[in-house]
Amino acid sequence: MDMKRDYYEDVKLFKSGTILFWSAVLLIFLFTLPIYLPSYNIYLLNIIMVNVILAVGLNILVGYTGQISLGHAGFFAIGAYGTSLIMMHLHLPFVAAIILAALIAAFFGFIIGLPALRLEGPYLAIATLGFGLTIMHIIGRWDVFGGRMGITAPPLDMGIPGSAFSYVVQGDVKIYYVILIITVLLVIAARNMMKTRVGRAFMSIRDDDIAAEVMGVNLTIYKTMSFAVSAFYAGVAGGLYGFVVGFFDPFTFNLILSIIFLVMITVGGLGSIMGAIMGAMLITYLQYDLLKNVENLPYLGGLLTMVSKKWFTMIGLANFSSIALGLIMIAIVIFEPLGMFGIWIRMKKYWKTWPF
Amino acid sequence: MKKVFIASMIVCAVLVGSFFVFAAGKPGFDNKEIRIAQWGPQTGPAAPWGSVARGSGLLFQIVNDEGGIHGRKIKYFIRDDQYNPAQTKAVVKELVEREGIFAFVGGVGAACGMAVKDYLAQNKIIWVSPSTAIEEYVFPVNPYLFAMYTLYDDEASILTKYTVEKLKAKKIGFLYQNDAYGKSGLKGCKARLNAYKMKLVEEISVEPGEKDLSSQILRLKNAGAEVAVLWVNPTSAAIALKTAATIGYKPQWISSNTLMDFPLMNKITGGLWEGVITGGLGLPTHVDHPLMNKYRAAAKKYAPEERFGVFYTAGIMFAEPLVDALKRVGPKLSTEALLKQLNATKNFQGLGAVVNWSPTVHQGTDSIQILKCGPNSSYITLQDWTSNELATWKKKK
Repeated sequence: MDMKRDYYEDVKLFKSGTILFWSAVLLIFLFTLPIYLPSYNIYLLNIIMVNVILAVGLNILVGYTGQISLGHAGFFAIGAYGTSLIMMHLHLPFVAAIILAALIAAFFGFIIGLPALRLEGPYLAIATLGFGLTIMHIIGRWDVFGGRMGITAPPLDMGIPGSAFSYVVQGDVKIYYVILIITVLLVIAARNMMKTRVGRAFMSIRDDDIAAEVMGVNLTIYKTMSFAVSAFYAGVAGGLYGFVVGFFDPFTFNLILSIIFLVMITVGGLGSIMGAIMGAMLITYLQYDLLKNVENLPYLGGLLTMVSKKWFTMIGLANFSSIALGLIMIAIVIFEPLGMFGIWIRMKKYWKTWPF
Repeated sequence: MKKVFIASMIVCAVLVGSFFVFAAGKPGFDNKEIRIAQWGPQTGPAAPWGSVARGSGLLFQIVNDEGGIHGRKIKYFIRDDQYNPAQTKAVVKELVEREGIFAFVGGVGAACGMAVKDYLAQNKIIWVSPSTAIEEYVFPVNPYLFAMYTLYDDEASILTKYTVEKLKAKKIGFLYQNDAYGKSGLKGCKARLNAYKMKLVEEISVEPGEKDLSSQILRLKNAGAEVAVLWVNPTSAAIALKTAATIGYKPQWISSNTLMDFPLMNKITGGLWEGVITGGLGLPTHVDHPLMNKYRAAAKKYAPEERFGVFYTAGIMFAEPLVDALKRVGPKLSTEALLKQLNATKNFQGLGAVVNWSPTVHQGTDSIQILKCGPNSSYITLQDWTSNELATWKKKK
């Protein structure tokens, strides 16, 4: 079934008509989702999609190219601040502003990619960590960026702000569509890239960079490109994030955020786009919704509150939320090294070979 | 394999199920209860401030024990936002749209509040006493938002007046955190000094994360500042005092109400906090005051494991005017009725300063107390509630 007869079959975006069909169904479902869901969940979906974009981008760097980044909150911040400030000061339409901001982020990604040519593993982690923290502090220091107080995102204007061609997108549902379109485009782009020459170069660097170089993969170009692409995704995600939340300050983009991003792709599955999407969905959902409402779960909620009050501090269930998030991470890494993507593959196999 | 598959299917089903199960947007109250909520960091970097939200809970508990408000009990929700504005917005939306919230109270975090301010106003949800002082909250007047936290400019101005008139200080230095909080303190201090035709001998900024303040402290020392005003966070203040002690610089330290938790400050400075003068937003926790005694007894009963500290009592203080207004509304509750009563708040005093709200001014007070840290972290009240006659916002209207 999975046998490929020529190269073009290998690089095809959709392996079969069935997959294309179900992808289309999924897309229609996503586009009609606001009809069935109340507004609160739409906000959550927006945050989830922002994280999906970021996780897919981060996975290109970490999962496919085998580099590490503890500074993605920095690129995320550049995207958020860049988009809002460009719209406020240069009066550019949203699409132009976010692309410009993402390109700025990509440029910084390229710069960070340069030391990555020589640094590996923990050393690279520290270098990128430094970058993330620096960005946070520089933004906080400069009043142009609103200082530590933060800035309010401008109205999401599809036309030219403040002119006759202005078209303001307002409300969670409308923003949802904007983000959905961008997410779908970027995810398809990532999938396409990973199936072609660039993606293969990335993976060869991950598996063995010396062997890759011997085979003619230009390490300088591809390593920096991987950083730049990943930063571009983070920049777009950041730009959208600004409009979803409406207000942000430098502290929003702290080290914890960078780590949560890494958690998303590790839990979801390194080196797979599907994994990044699933990881971003699960972690965001846990963080923003389920773990905040454990108290209301039947039986379990009451029990956990009691345990938490008795054995931990009086904060109660909030304690448990952090622990639960940590336990889920540990459990997935130990029992399911491929992440949620591994579970997905097994489920697929199970169906394909059913009833055997 | 089969087991894993079934298990993961169950997990998915539960997740999807809980995603779709929701109650339709309810009004914030019914005949039995009034739903009030607060966000606050219970975990994460700002977790120590989480006790504000729990403090408000104590007051509601007391109110419920006394029979509620005109037959309605207060149902109180606390949500942990980890000091992250995106999460604040998520929990606030969730509370409003899924639980149905009548009013929010308190709420730690400037950015967190800014992220939800407009959303709350659009949904006509009343928000009483944010736990930070930000001019943007109440200027221009936001019809649904009522603030009682004394603005930092006013506090710095009152403290400076005390410094000049009572302490007879000639040379004042100012160490401020490089953000809105630090800068408003600086602004208030300078405005007051201008009135005396005086100038700061030194004004130095500190980045919140800075760990080495020796050059800053040396500059204060070299400028000969006899009074050093600190408008920084607790960690920076501790570093400043320790650095000064090592280089033998002993000014009179003065600081904002954010550092009025003397036991805590003494703990992190190793006992150096004694003698420091701070502003006081609410009564010190140990005073013999009928309200404070009542709350202390209640805390012993309901939350014995909780430290009865400044943040905890601040949480009580922030909720007091809301409870007072709710009581005045009477049995016919509605958002409009509560707004009317909040706007008619005249000379209300609980643990904090006297609060006045009117339809045109939603900044409730401009007063602070002046406190001094005595031996064994005791509180000495140097000056009772004092208002700032220079407050610029009072002239704006």
